[in-house]
Formats: sequence, C-alpha cells, structure tokens
Amino acid sequence: MAGPVPIGGRLRRVPVDRLRRYGTSYAMLLPFLALFAAFLLWPLANSLYLSFTSFDGVNPAVFTGLDNFAELAGDARFRHALGNTALYVVASVVLGTLLSLGLALAFNGPSWPHRIMRTLFFLPSVTSSIALMLMWKWVLFPSEAGLANTIVHWLGGSTVPWLATPSLTIPILVLMSVWGGMGYGMVLYVAGLGSIPEEYYEAARIDGASTWQRFRHITLPLLRPVTTYVVVTGLIGAFQVFEAVYIVFRGTNNIGGVLDSALMIVPYLYDQGFTHFKLGYASAIAWVLFLIIFVLSLVNLRVGRAMKEL
Amino acid sequence: MAVAPMDRLAPARRRARHEQPRAGGRARRNRHLLRLPFYLLSLTMVVPFYWLVITVLKPPTELSRIPPSFVPESPSFVNFHDPEWSAERVNPGHLQGVFQRFQVEFGFWRFLFNSVLVTTAITVGALLICSLAAYVIAKHRIRGRRVIFLMIIASMMVPWQTTLIPNYVIMRNLGWLDTYTAYIVPGLAKAFVLFFLVQFLQSVPNELIQAARVDGAGEWRIWWQIVLPLLRPALAAMSIFIVLAEWNNFLWPLVIVQSDEMANLPVALARLNSYFGAPDHQGAIMAGGFIASVPTIVFFLIFQKYFTRGIALSGLKG
Repeated sequence: MAGPVPIGGRLRRVPVDRLRRYGTSYAMLLPFLALFAAFLLWPLANSLYLSFTSFDGVNPAVFTGLDNFAELAGDARFRHALGNTALYVVASVVLGTLLSLGLALAFNGPSWPHRIMRTLFFLPSVTSSIALMLMWKWVLFPSEAGLANTIVHWLGGSTVPWLATPSLTIPILVLMSVWGGMGYGMVLYVAGLGSIPEEYYEAARIDGASTWQRFRHITLPLLRPVTTYVVVTGLIGAFQVFEAVYIVFRGTNNIGGVLDSALMIVPYLYDQGFTHFKLGYASAIAWVLFLIIFVLSLVNLRVGRAMKEL
Repeated sequence: MAVAPMDRLAPARRRARHEQPRAGGRARRNRHLLRLPFYLLSLTMVVPFYWLVITVLKPPTELSRIPPSFVPESPSFVNFHDPEWSAERVNPGHLQGVFQRFQVEFGFWRFLFNSVLVTTAITVGALLICSLAAYVIAKHRIRGRRVIFLMIIASMMVPWQTTLIPNYVIMRNLGWLDTYTAYIVPGLAKAFVLFFLVQFLQSVPNELIQAARVDGAGEWRIWWQIVLPLLRPALAAMSIFIVLAEWNNFLWPLVIVQSDEMANLPVALARLNSYFGAPDHQGAIMAGGFIASVPTIVFFLIFQKYFTRGIALSGLKG
C-alpha cells in the first residue's frame, strides 16, 4: 500500500535495434493490459455510466442523471446498511488489530508451544470461508442441539435465538470476523517483531528502561508500518463484507436478516442488482463503496506521509 | 528483502532474548501470566473446529439429540455417503450423504474438480501474465510505462465489487455465463500481483539481464529463463495469495453460475445451506465444509514456512 515507487532509474540503455525491442516490450505487456482494460478499466467506467441510468439488465439503459444518488440519499435501508457497516468495520478492525498484536507478542518465540499456537490461530485463514460461516451458523443453532445454547444451558441460562436477535447481529458478525482474522494479523506482527534489532532492547535495558517502556518506545513505534498495513487492509476488507451476511443471516426473502440488522453495503448491492435487477441503482451503491475505499486509501497515504515527516 | 535475513536470524536472536538471565523469577512468571489469556483464547479456535469434526462423524439420529454428545458415540461416514438411504423409500434415521445430494454427474466431486481447475488455471495464468508485464515495466525503458504503472497502482484502490455489475453484463453479452471462461479470464490481470512483482524485480540487479542480452538472448527467452527463476520467491508468495483467494471466491461465482454443474465448492456449500433448518442435516453440511477445507489446510501444513514468509513479505513490502 506504499505510494508510487520511483522506477528503474538505474537502467542503462543497451545498443539494440530500438524499434524491434520496443515492439517486443509492448507485445509482452499486451496480455495484461488487454485483460486489465477489458475487465477493470472499461467496467469501472461502465459502472459509473450505469449509476446515472435506470438500467434493469433487460431494456436499454435510460439516462436519469443524479436520480439514483438522490434516491440513495433518501433510502432508509441504504442508510441503515451504511450505519451497520461503519459499526462493524470499526469494531472488528479495532478488536482484530489489538488481538493480533497481543497474540504476536505472546507467541513470537521459536519454541514448539508458540509454534503450535501460531498454527492454531492461523488455521481459520486457510479454511474455506463458507465452511466457517456454516460452522458458526451451526454453533449458533437456535436450540439446545447447538453448541452455544448448550453452553448457555450449562451456565443456567435459557435458549437464545442468536441469529434472530437483532441486537446480537453486529456483535456476532464482529466476533466471526475477529476470530477468523486475528491469526493473519498475528503473522504480520510476528514478522514485524522479528525485524526489530535486538540491540535496541539491549541499549534500553542498559539505560534501565522497564518492560512497558521498552514496549512503548521501541516495539510500538517500530511496528507502526505493520500496524498501518493491518489497519488499512482490515478496513478495506471489512467494508466489503458479504459472505457472513449472505450465509449466516440472510432470510428467505430478506438479505439483511431480521429487521435488516445484518444489512451491509455489498449485500445490499447484491440484493438490489441481482435480486431486484435494479442494476443502475446497484451501480450507484458500488460507486459509493468505491468512494469510501478511495478516501480511506488517500487518508492512508496522507497519514503515512505525515508519519514519515514527524 | 528485509524478511529473508530476519527469517534466518530471528529464531537465534529470540532464543538469546529468552535465555537471558532475568532480574528474577518474578518477571518471567509475570510474562507467563500475561500469556495465559491468549492460551485460553486458543480454546475458541480448538472448540469450534472440534465441533465441526465431531458433527461430520455423527449419524443424523445422534445429531438431533438434546443435549448434544461431545464424543461421537457411533462415529461413521454416513454424512459423506449413506448406503442405507435410497430415493425410492423412506428409511427413518437415514439421510443423504453430501455425495448423494446433488443431481450432477460425479456428485460433490464435480465441485471439488471445478474449484481445483479454476484455482490452478487462474494461479498459473495470472503469474505468467503478470510476470511478463512486470518484467517490461521494471526493466524496459519504454514510453508510457510510468503512466501504465501509476494507473495499475491507482486501480488497487478500486474495490472489485464496483466492477461486478458491468462484468456480469459483459459475461452475459459474450455468452460466457455458466462457463469456466467466465471464472478464469476476468481473474487473470491482478494489479496487486503485478505491483508486487515489479517491486521485487526492482531489487534484482540488471547485470544478469544485460549479460543475457549481450549473449544475444531474445526478450521472451530472458523472461522465461532468467526473470522467472529470479522471481521464484515472489511467485511463491503470490501463488499462496491467489490460491487462497480463488479457492474462497464466492460472490463472483454466485453471480455467473446458473447450473449445478458449474458451481465451485463455496457456491455448492451455499446451496447446502438450504437444508439448514434441521439439526440432523448438519452432518452432511459440515461434511461438505470439511471437504472444501481439507485441501487448503493440507496445502498450508506442507508449505507453512512459505505461507508465513509470503505474508510477511507482502506486508512489509506492500
């Protein structure tokens, strides 16, 4: 996620037939550029165009100006989806980052208990994500046949309809996301910890710095690039949440679950585009998502630059 | 390449850190006490996975029991295939195993095949196409490469869902819906992979390439015989990302797949989800999830070192 990198200034020009070599160069670039243009650039421009139309997938698109965006601004479900997503994103990224860092600090050693722990926490990252969603759905089964309700009964409680309780929806989504993602962040932090020179700690120890002071003034600042990476990729990934909602919370005729409590941006996009075939309207939603993530990326660049100047 | 030396030295360094004489046993005890919550947290990893595995092993009658058993009393593989079940007569206590649930040739194997085929094709294709372009952008001084590279970097800020609807329309207009082509072709040009490979190539000295050029090797041959071998660690790292992403790809297949035959494992699992209501069907659902997860878990356990190294490489460089 770093900014533009200066490219190949050190290249010396070689005396070869310039035209022929350049022809080869463009030929080698062609497969990538052609696919890139066909399935990214053109669709991107196309989706911007569609967002100003009432395209329904069957009839030719009719230009309607800013109607879709005006409708979005007044769409209570969309605002609800934005609110849900914001809450989910903030909670899952903050919790996930803290736990990733904690795990990395706890288990960064070479001994076998640490290695087993690292493998264990990383396991969800390499397990089929839909399988994990189905597993959670079964764990949260609304009767005592489910694991969560069995435990509730051991503790003397009564059966909880986990997935049908709107106030529990976001916490459950956050829990699933943090549970599945903290091992990945941990691996990044372990690598970051390993690249901090041991000499810094020795010098600090000689100066009489406490464990907390060493953590606060050596570990944390030197881990900042890793933290930025974990937070930004976490934010971007969380804004795009879809599977958890689609698999775990979707009802028979409502993608957002009970009272739309699990409605998020991408599920709403899917719902409008592929259930209601309002492809123009869904394109407008897609562009709102794009703008959010674009701004986040810019903020990342700006914050990164400011950090460097400090 | 900040990571490669770290990987070799870090364990020794950490060992040194651990073996250093401490101010007293108290500090070490505190350290272990601080670790305790994280050891407890690991139970939240073990328990759900254990629950998944025992669910797979329990026959339907045991699955609907309340309270549930925690050690399967009569473990069996009926959730994969139940020989006692037949479509003609009702046989209480017997349900379709996951391999009996889809009316497609080869049953559930078909989805495994689809997933393997699509994942392999995209991984190999994307690495070839992206490394070719990366070689040109990093090592050829052609007009417009800066603009091209900036455009590709900028495109990394675009969430792919923004292009979902136009791409769906393109697939429909080309008649590609419900084909492997629709799975594979739009997934080949990966900006992230190109960006990573360009960065990696910039740290590779030009001398080898120059020497080959002086010897009269053509650009295609240089790419195949010199650049690709040099890129090996970067390609290994990227292949892990691509394999995991494509194996789990769900929203795109959900949109382009219409028939049962063309589903990949995630889409097939989502279809199993319609049996969710009853506890006795959970065995077959979890069996499907088990089959979908085993390949990537085994892949991970074999190449564990490359996984952590690849992730670290991308995180520290990206």
